[in-house]
Amino acid sequence: MNVDQKSTQVSIPEEILQKWEAKGVSRRDFIKFCTATTAALALPLSFVPKVAQALEDKRPPVIWVEYQSCSGDSEAFLRANQPTAGDIILETISLEYSDVVMAASGHLAEEAKHNAMKKYAGKYVLIVEGSIPRGAGGGYCTIGGKSAVDDCKELVKNAAATICVGTCAAFGGLPAAAPNPTDAVSVMDLVPGAPIVNLPGCPVNATNLTATIVHFLTFGKLPAVDRLGRPKFAYGKRIHDNCERRSHFDAGQYAEAFGDAGHSQGWCLYKLGCKGPETFHNCPTCRYNEGVSWPVMAGHGCIGCSEPGFWDTMSPFYRRLPNVPGFGVEDTADQIGLGLAAATAVAFGAHGVVNIGRSYFGKNDSDADQE
Amino acid sequence: MHELRYVWEWPVRLTHWFNAISIVVLSVTGYYIGDPFVSVPATSQYVMGWMRFIHFLFAYIFMLSVLSRLIWAFLGNEFASWRVFFPWATSKGRQYIVGTFLFYTFVKAKPPGVVGHNALAAMAYVGVIGLYVVQIVTGFALYGQYAPGGGWDSSLGWLLPIFGNQGLRLTHHVVMWLLIGFSIHHVYSAWLMEVKEKNGTLASIFGGYKFIDPKELQ
Amino acid sequence: MAKRIAVDPITRIEGHLRIEAKLEGGKIVDAWSSSTAFRGVETILKGRDPRDAHHFTQRFCGVCTTVHSMASIRAVEDALKIEIPDNARLLRNLIMGIQNVQDHVIHFYHLHALDWVDITSALQADPKKTAQLAQSISDWPNSSVKHFEAVKARVAKFATSSSGLGPFQNAYWGHKAYKLPPEANLMAVAHYLEALEWQKEVIKIHAVLGSKNPHPQTFLVGGMSTPIHPDSQNAINADKIAYLMKLFKQAREFVEKVYIPDVLAVAPFYLDWAGIGGGVGNFLSYGDFPESGGNDVGSYYFPRGVIMGKDLANLMEMDEAKITEYVTNSWYNYAQGDDKGLHPYKGETKHNYTGPKPPYEWLDTNQKYSWVKSPRYMDQPMEVGPLARILVAYVGGNKEVKAAVDFVLKTLNAPASALFSTLGRTAARAVDCLVLAQRNETWLQQLADNMGRGIYEVHNKEKWDPSTWPKEAQGYGTHEAPRGALGHWIRIEDQKIANYQAVVPSTWNAGPRDAMGQKGPYESALIGTPIADPNKPVEILRTIHSFDPCLACAVH
Ligand code: HEM
Ligand code: HEM
Ligand code: NFV
Ligand code: SF4
Ligand code: SF4
Ligand code: F3S
Ligand SMILES: [Mg+2]
Repeated sequence: MNVDQKSTQVSIPEEILQKWEAKGVSRRDFIKFCTATTAALALPLSFVPKVAQALEDKRPPVIWVEYQSCSGDSEAFLRANQPTAGDIILETISLEYSDVVMAASGHLAEEAKHNAMKKYAGKYVLIVEGSIPRGAGGGYCTIGGKSAVDDCKELVKNAAATICVGTCAAFGGLPAAAPNPTDAVSVMDLVPGAPIVNLPGCPVNATNLTATIVHFLTFGKLPAVDRLGRPKFAYGKRIHDNCERRSHFDAGQYAEAFGDAGHSQGWCLYKLGCKGPETFHNCPTCRYNEGVSWPVMAGHGCIGCSEPGFWDTMSPFYRRLPNVPGFGVEDTADQIGLGLAAATAVAFGAHGVVNIGRSYFGKNDSDADQE
Repeated sequence: MHELRYVWEWPVRLTHWFNAISIVVLSVTGYYIGDPFVSVPATSQYVMGWMRFIHFLFAYIFMLSVLSRLIWAFLGNEFASWRVFFPWATSKGRQYIVGTFLFYTFVKAKPPGVVGHNALAAMAYVGVIGLYVVQIVTGFALYGQYAPGGGWDSSLGWLLPIFGNQGLRLTHHVVMWLLIGFSIHHVYSAWLMEVKEKNGTLASIFGGYKFIDPKELQ
Repeated sequence: MAKRIAVDPITRIEGHLRIEAKLEGGKIVDAWSSSTAFRGVETILKGRDPRDAHHFTQRFCGVCTTVHSMASIRAVEDALKIEIPDNARLLRNLIMGIQNVQDHVIHFYHLHALDWVDITSALQADPKKTAQLAQSISDWPNSSVKHFEAVKARVAKFATSSSGLGPFQNAYWGHKAYKLPPEANLMAVAHYLEALEWQKEVIKIHAVLGSKNPHPQTFLVGGMSTPIHPDSQNAINADKIAYLMKLFKQAREFVEKVYIPDVLAVAPFYLDWAGIGGGVGNFLSYGDFPESGGNDVGSYYFPRGVIMGKDLANLMEMDEAKITEYVTNSWYNYAQGDDKGLHPYKGETKHNYTGPKPPYEWLDTNQKYSWVKSPRYMDQPMEVGPLARILVAYVGGNKEVKAAVDFVLKTLNAPASALFSTLGRTAARAVDCLVLAQRNETWLQQLADNMGRGIYEVHNKEKWDPSTWPKEAQGYGTHEAPRGALGHWIRIEDQKIANYQAVVPSTWNAGPRDAMGQKGPYESALIGTPIADPNKPVEILRTIHSFDPCLACAVH
């Protein structure tokens, strides 16, 4: 590792390092960031200079739109580190539109978006946050009088690539949870076939977003994705397979209640409903807020917030399995199953008793025959 | 006059017992996986690890055994043939179904005489074999998740976006109870046939032979 | 000649807000506030496990993240009569406390400042004079000439690059309503960038206590899922307390040495705004931050109370039964007709969009025109938020609040009545931020003391199991979120949510007219606002931003 770092240190062009130093980013921090991003993208370390170069060269136009969102992903972006949101906005990209950050308002804001879409047609990166409601003729979400449906379609079609941040934009998320009152859909359902990368999570992990942007800057294309459009570098493994509590899972050590001895000793949260075994996300390795923590580390099970339909499929959140469709909330699969097995046993037991009874009391002529 | 007839060839018997034992083992370990009722204090344990290992080991045994039986349905004798599992397809089969049903509901004192599976049992077995397949498919789809891009994931991973991980797990879990329910019914029926028919039904699944009174065969 | 204008979207807020205004003689004579987005989370919540609700409601908003978890959990705890352990009280206070502090700073620098600060003018500033100005108002270490030179160079490089001004393009730069000298503008830009760094640092408190931010995850009905144990690596231990203390100090220092001095330095240039943007003059604060008991209202650090008609001499008790919501002008229908207000226990969320078909140019404001409902207290519109909270605390006997308010008024040489304004709202937010930034460390110390005495309990699991619940229950939970009085009402039947209604700070403030035709607080506050250039209505932004709108919250 030491050797590698040395060699990359040498290979990042001096003038790039100097430029970043002039901006107040130390060589050490910059190299650390490039190395970390390269690693996050699962690239060999020889790519570090390329990543460093990419951060330097271009400031591609980016349009960030929000529809049925809670702005949690915008906020997550503000928590980005190395590069920070400030670095990204001032030096890495050209943020042409963003509800939360931009200075312009009203028609001037919409004009900025429209101009960027025309001027950089086919070249800009679109970032979408929030789902898109198709119901009520578009009346469930309008911006500047225009429906989210129309706005999104137009922007996606003219973009070089679209990054869907958060589970709402990627899979419909909260607005699309049953009964989906507004007919909310994800971007890929609204505009099938468009070049899209999904970064689910509620909210998106800022590190995955910066890594995706850097990937795009470095290679001019989006990272390799799985069948749900998620980059493999971030969603290629289950939480459970990288979880720091996995040894406790394998050992059979489980927190039985919040606050009990097992819980405070960091035992596995499986029995408290942890959905790590069903969730593909890099939370345990990447963590949040500059690697400080993540849900399981803090003591609460994963709720599967990056999985499609998680509000419906992963709930109830404090139980391992969902409710069995058609049964009450209090009936777990086991209670129902046990009931079923017991009922079968009782039914056949009774059947057997009747049979034996018949044989003994001779009501059964053919039995008598045989005697 | 009863005569001894060879009904269940050895592959039928062997797969039957492999299946039965696998299901017992898979249910016990699977139940533990679903609800690890024993929490162990010392770290040196590896309880869940073993449970899962055994579950996966028997998962493979079970899958191979079920596969073998399915193949044998095309190679074996008339009692093992895939045809017997679809009694409703022939008029004779339909008579058997009605007859057996009347027996079970105490209307008739005796079931129709058959050499192989009785008609209702055969139909239940189709269902059960269906459940076997569901368990194997959902099980290996879940199993494949530890290695996205691996063989199991490539062949069965497409199920995940459709049914969801939790959907597969719930199905897998509920089917265990259905199999347990079936087993209770099935062992009882075997016993019932044994006492009613006095034809060695129970023993047949061990030795392969049944006592058959040809007069009773319609 | 009357002229009608629309500002849509209002940016630098959370969510989708549209303001329409009628101008006459260079002033606003009428105004309509509308949110143009709806998700229907109250409907989505029906039939779910009440213990899960806080995960859903938290996603009302990712800016004031945590607050809807708090209100939700308190509502369920109220319904099921659950007492929480003392550690849970403290953990919650700390999470809520830093949320308020961080949210206010972000609001001031990143959402509000650009209405007052012309960043293009900063390029004309002399870094030396800027340093002098900065050093004269605070001993914040980052006030060297070199520092301001570097900031100026960075901004200049950005502004002159071929990519253009990015998010700062097309704004109202050069508008004559901008009054700060270039030096003050440069200082503000520098602090904009520093605040951006600071906010991501101090909110790591949420990561430590709650796993991440936005949307920390460790809330629980009955307590918290953040374990406390001095002998565990996987719990809050002495090491983590020390780290938290460092972050809380860092939070406080920035507020004391940058935020407050900046507010006091900028305000004198905009004193006319102490007479603009007053609004409805009725204030509601639920109070919050229990100092003892699980959630003992009597012990709240910020007291609970109501002020009507700007009458500070008469602090009234808050009675939850007097709250109703109207949908007369909102895109919903009530079963018994849309002209009656409903108490939240009986509240309904039956959405029915009857607005213009998009794309549209104008809303029909004679009809229903917003997705926000209109909450009323005793049938009166109420302003909620830092100003309401601070006013109620000021007259309700909070010593720190009184001292801070008096200090600010004295420094600006303004009477108490100046508080009822756009500027007053902005100053109250700073005071709110300051007293909480200072209070947080006390709660952390109390948590450490509990740990020292061997008190580790974080969760009361007595009623965790739904089979212990009554067949029917109802309750409500309140919280003083950054933007003000937040309440959630829940009815539980057969262990499931039968009805869920949230009445959120921005619902109070952003709501449209009610059945009696009374305007909501945004609408009222805009009346009389001068508009120098109808094509660049920066004045609307100033007053609307002073409320810190959050429309995802308001509509949910
Ligand atoms: C009759 C056959 C089987 C029964 C009764 C059975 C039963 C179970 C049960 C009850 C669970 C726990 C589910 C939950 O609550 O989450 C489980 C888990 C599982 N089973 Fe099976 N199973 C059977 C066959 C198989 C097969 C053929 C496979 C193929 C590999 C398999 C793979 C798995 C996997 C991967 C899990 C999840 C393990 C984990 O997440 O750690 N099972 N099984
Ligand atoms: C004490 C345990 C068991 C006994 C005594 C037993 C007995 C038998 C007998 C006598 C038959 C032949 C029935 C006939 O004439 O139709 C049979 C077939 C069968 N049994 Fe069992 N059984 C046992 C356990 C199980 C279990 C646990 C399962 C699975 C859940 C199972 C599944 C089957 C199936 C699928 C067949 C059809 C076999 C074929 O055609 O290959 N058995 N069993
Ligand atoms: N209004 C509002 Fe919130 C706050 N503070 C919620 O309760 O912002 Ni999103
Ligand atoms: S994915 Fe989550 S954080 Fe993002 S907008 Fe949706 S609810 Fe908010
Ligand atoms: S805590 Fe969750 S993710 Fe971690 S090992 Fe346990 S079940 Fe798996
Ligand atoms: S809840 Fe979400 S943040 Fe990660 S640990 Fe689970 S995917
Ligand atoms: Mg509501």
